[in-house]
Amino acid sequence: MPTLKEQFWDPVAGFGVTFRTMFKKVVTEQYPFEKKPTAPRFHGRHQLNRWPDGLEKCIGCELCAWACPADAIYVEGASNTEDERYSPGERYGRVYQINYLRCILCGLCIEACPTRALTMTNEYELADDNRADLIYEKQDLLAPLLPGMEQPPHAMLLGDDEGDYYRGSFRPAKNESEA
Amino acid sequence: MTVTSKEGQEVAKADLVTLTIDGVEVSVPKGTLVIRAAEQIGVQIPRFCDHPLLAPVGACRQCLVEVALPGPDGEPRTMMGPPGRVKPQASCTLTASEGMVVNTQISSPIADKAQQGVMEALLINHPLDCPVCDKGGECPLQNQAMSNGRGETRFVETKRTFPKPINISAQVLLDRERCVLCARCTRFSEQIAGDPFIALIERGALQQVGIYEKEPFESYFSGNTIQICPVGALTSAAYRFRARPFDLVSTPSVAEHDACGSAIRVDHRRGKVVRRLSGEDPAVNEEWITDKDRFGFTYARQDDRLTHPMVRDEETGELRTASWPEAFVVAARGLQAAGATGVLTGGRLTLEDAYAYSKFARVALGTNDVDFRARAHSAEEEAFLASTVAGTGLGVTFEDLEKVGTVVLAGLEPEDEAGTLFLRLRKAARKGLKVVSIAPFTSRGLAKMHGTLIRTAPGDEAAALEALAHDGEVALDAGGILLIGERLAAVPGALSAAAALAGTTGARLAWVPRRAGDRGAVDAGLLPSLLPGGRPVDDAAARVDLGTVWGTTVGHEPGRDAAGIVAAAIAGEIGGLVVGGVDPDDTADPAATRAAIGAASFVVSLELRATDVTQAADVVLPVAAAAEKAGTFVTWEGRQRPFGKVLVESHALPDLRVLAGIADELGTPLGFKTVEAARAELSELGGWDGDRVAAPTVSTGSTTRESSTTDGDGLRLATWKQMIDDASMLDGDDYLRATGRAAVALVSAGTLAGLGVEAGANVTVTGPGGSATLPVGVADLADGVVWLPAGSDGINVNRDLGATAGATVSVEGGAA
Amino acid sequence: MGIEEKLPSGVLLTTVEGVAGYMRKASFWPATFGLACCAIEMMTSGGPRYDLSRFGMEVFRASPRQADLMIVAGRVSQKMAPVLRQIYDQMAEPKYVLAMGVCASSGGMFNNYAIVQGVDHVVPVDMYLPGCPPRPEMLIDAILKLHKQVQTSKLGSNRRDQIEALETEALNALPTSEMKGLLR
Repeated sequence: MPTLKEQFWDPVAGFGVTFRTMFKKVVTEQYPFEKKPTAPRFHGRHQLNRWPDGLEKCIGCELCAWACPADAIYVEGASNTEDERYSPGERYGRVYQINYLRCILCGLCIEACPTRALTMTNEYELADDNRADLIYEKQDLLAPLLPGMEQPPHAMLLGDDEGDYYRGSFRPAKNESEA
Repeated sequence: MTVTSKEGQEVAKADLVTLTIDGVEVSVPKGTLVIRAAEQIGVQIPRFCDHPLLAPVGACRQCLVEVALPGPDGEPRTMMGPPGRVKPQASCTLTASEGMVVNTQISSPIADKAQQGVMEALLINHPLDCPVCDKGGECPLQNQAMSNGRGETRFVETKRTFPKPINISAQVLLDRERCVLCARCTRFSEQIAGDPFIALIERGALQQVGIYEKEPFESYFSGNTIQICPVGALTSAAYRFRARPFDLVSTPSVAEHDACGSAIRVDHRRGKVVRRLSGEDPAVNEEWITDKDRFGFTYARQDDRLTHPMVRDEETGELRTASWPEAFVVAARGLQAAGATGVLTGGRLTLEDAYAYSKFARVALGTNDVDFRARAHSAEEEAFLASTVAGTGLGVTFEDLEKVGTVVLAGLEPEDEAGTLFLRLRKAARKGLKVVSIAPFTSRGLAKMHGTLIRTAPGDEAAALEALAHDGEVALDAGGILLIGERLAAVPGALSAAAALAGTTGARLAWVPRRAGDRGAVDAGLLPSLLPGGRPVDDAAARVDLGTVWGTTVGHEPGRDAAGIVAAAIAGEIGGLVVGGVDPDDTADPAATRAAIGAASFVVSLELRATDVTQAADVVLPVAAAAEKAGTFVTWEGRQRPFGKVLVESHALPDLRVLAGIADELGTPLGFKTVEAARAELSELGGWDGDRVAAPTVSTGSTTRESSTTDGDGLRLATWKQMIDDASMLDGDDYLRATGRAAVALVSAGTLAGLGVEAGANVTVTGPGGSATLPVGVADLADGVVWLPAGSDGINVNRDLGATAGATVSVEGGAA
Repeated sequence: MGIEEKLPSGVLLTTVEGVAGYMRKASFWPATFGLACCAIEMMTSGGPRYDLSRFGMEVFRASPRQADLMIVAGRVSQKMAPVLRQIYDQMAEPKYVLAMGVCASSGGMFNNYAIVQGVDHVVPVDMYLPGCPPRPEMLIDAILKLHKQVQTSKLGSNRRDQIEALETEALNALPTSEMKGLLR
């Protein structure tokens, strides 16, 4: 035989949570309509950075590919020449591919990168309906050209050799001095 | 890297010295270096300049250890420097002595500190550009800086820089900033290859590796300097930035470019071979390989590589892509309809593939018309191979060359035709071996071996060999070795004379072919009068022996040789041809070979890449390149060199699988479809211990011309192929090609004067079939002889001149 | 021109396919197929904070008959593959598959003999979602992208033609290893 409490109070008590919640702020995120920013160091899609003159920071050293636990990165290096220069120094990444269907966004590649060429953005809307489009190539990964940058290949504009770039002893950019 | 145990066993107990290293007592043979003695107890002393195959030099000072020697009272006394200071010693130049006490970095803080100091000094001017350096990941400097270096640098000043990289040859790039001046490359060039165009120049901080500007670093062995460089100072132009070592899959294999069977390591990445390195095999190539073995591998992925079987469309007459089963059926029907069929194969086959061709011809086609010799050949050579070479197993070896007193070379230029053999001969020559060469002139290779020339005009080799039996100076006896090149086949009587010379003097005889598959083809019976294992066709017992394994009978009539097959095809006696990897331009008469392929009613071509043969063929069957199949090459020694499949993902079929497919359609299965099964059948077959064919006795006088002087106003033609030439196996390796020696026609000074041109001017050489223009040079040839490379700079002697070695050609000066 | 001009105001015209697509996407019931860590994120997506019910997807169906979408959340082992296929076969048409996370999409970091290297070896996948695991926003994004697909999906003979076209394309396609560059 249920007690009085069980017969009358308990069924009402169950609604107590509901009633209390009616006066609380709604926690639901209206995701696609209102996007909440991620944590600043969220591991999203990669980006290949550029020097302020537009040259690529990537030197094609393949250390990211070596660090990758999922074997999601493929890099092929090639030689910079005087006529065709993509990065300061001898070597640049001719082929750069990240397979986002393997990548676990762990960030070990970022730690391995000796020139800070590879970093991660906060972008996460990556879903696609086929496998081929989820292999991002170099042109998909390269950072956009900001004002003052010039599309490589071009000569080193900020210094005489790669040492100037790595040490940060840039010569003032042309358009800045003019302005 | 260690003292071989074999050597250790040979030393008597009395020749051992006992020393103490890190508190462990160890006995080593007298003369052992301390660094090697330490290896015996498992202590790795860091080193850069030390290399077991090069003379010690003590250049890098990285191997410093603390050493104490027993004093007069027997107590060990530490070797001291300035008063009160211990002086560490370089263990790579210090020989172990009795009672020595060595403390390495493991037990001695002094040695450890000394090594760290040396490492710091070496790194002062090192650019530390490991991420872009090709050596990064497999670099002794990287590794030893981690294990024996300081964690932090104290050097904050500006580093010395050089422009980089600079080419010291088309193939080798030098980065002087990275160099630690260990002198491994210069010592290799001087001591091993004998091409000392590379040396240490300047002094102090500016000391650097350099080349003599007027003479480029041209060596057939330059790739070895890249491999032994302990830093990334020497890198390869072909491999530059191609891959990183941690991304490569390494597979041991055997080089397919010459008959030396050098051990190599093939590194591939995602189904593509990116580089090849020398393997380590003390019995064969030690640690050295030729540049051709190292850099010549892109031929298998050229654009004209065949990927699908093709059959000739009956309606359009064009080749069209077909499936494998269809191609097998078409090939089998065509061969059945064609009637008598001949089989021509090149010299690049593995032993298993050669065996498959041999069995295919005998069992499926029922013919003995099979020959692997896509070059000048003779019936005398066939008898020589049957009597002396086929199925004889391991004969003269590389190691034997170091043990004998005299080696006679005839019809063989080792530097061009068997590079690894050349290195071993040179090593032996430096220790006192006498090299005698029967050749038209003192080639660069012979000079580097400090050899003696028996100047012989082409065609007179037989006489020279006969004369050698009575030559008191050479004094060939049982302690001598006679190395016979395949080119002697074109000289009537020469092989007979060589066999006779070996018989009378007791010298050992070895036949050194140029191509990797030649010796295997002889063993597999790819000759009209020879069955596998050296069994003669006309020996009933041999046929029965073979029949028990094959389960069929074999024809008893010896077939036609390659020239005979070609002639019979032109005459219409042979309707079908099965051609496996023959380039018509290699044959003695390219025009006739082309005509035969055109005349034959049905041609089946097994090829790697599109050639003249595949264009004329009725069925084209693509086959696997050496890296895409397992197999065995038989070296000139008779040593079997099995290797596995490198590119495991490849679906290309080896020749034997293709032949098995056709044989199945013909209703006469070969009985094996895999390399393993073919290998098993070969070993089941075993060798032949019955009667052999007698050695040939072709007399020399009958066909040779009287003297080496000019016949009329023509010159006698001497020729052979240079190592790096126009060979299709080097297609795509442009950097390697660029290191090849330029085509130069060589004549004697007297002949040159007769031509009325200066050395270096162009001359036109005219043979029966055409002419070629190339620069002329002077060498110590006999008057009336001209030497041409057989296939360099676009000039193919067989094709363009229509002449083979020994033919008469005319040379005219004054061409443009 | 046609019927549009003669209609009174307030009446909208659309195609049957358009209506059917709208209906389908608006009540899109997922089957639970949580296999590993991704399932936790999938559950979170159904919870109050991300609230998939905003898109009519609140009921994760345990019975395949009642489900339209299979979210394969996690690595599929070789042993699980036939089960997965069976569940898929039991679902009623029209049905969709979403490979959630890198393991379901391509095997991810588990490049080994135990894991199916991509669930598309077993069932046709309509949407691939990278991430390890993908955050709920990424899943919602993928589902919305799938909604767009559903909205424009064909019916009847058009559907049959579409299936045939896709089939031909798939048969003629290069192997994945050769499709794009050097990665697989």
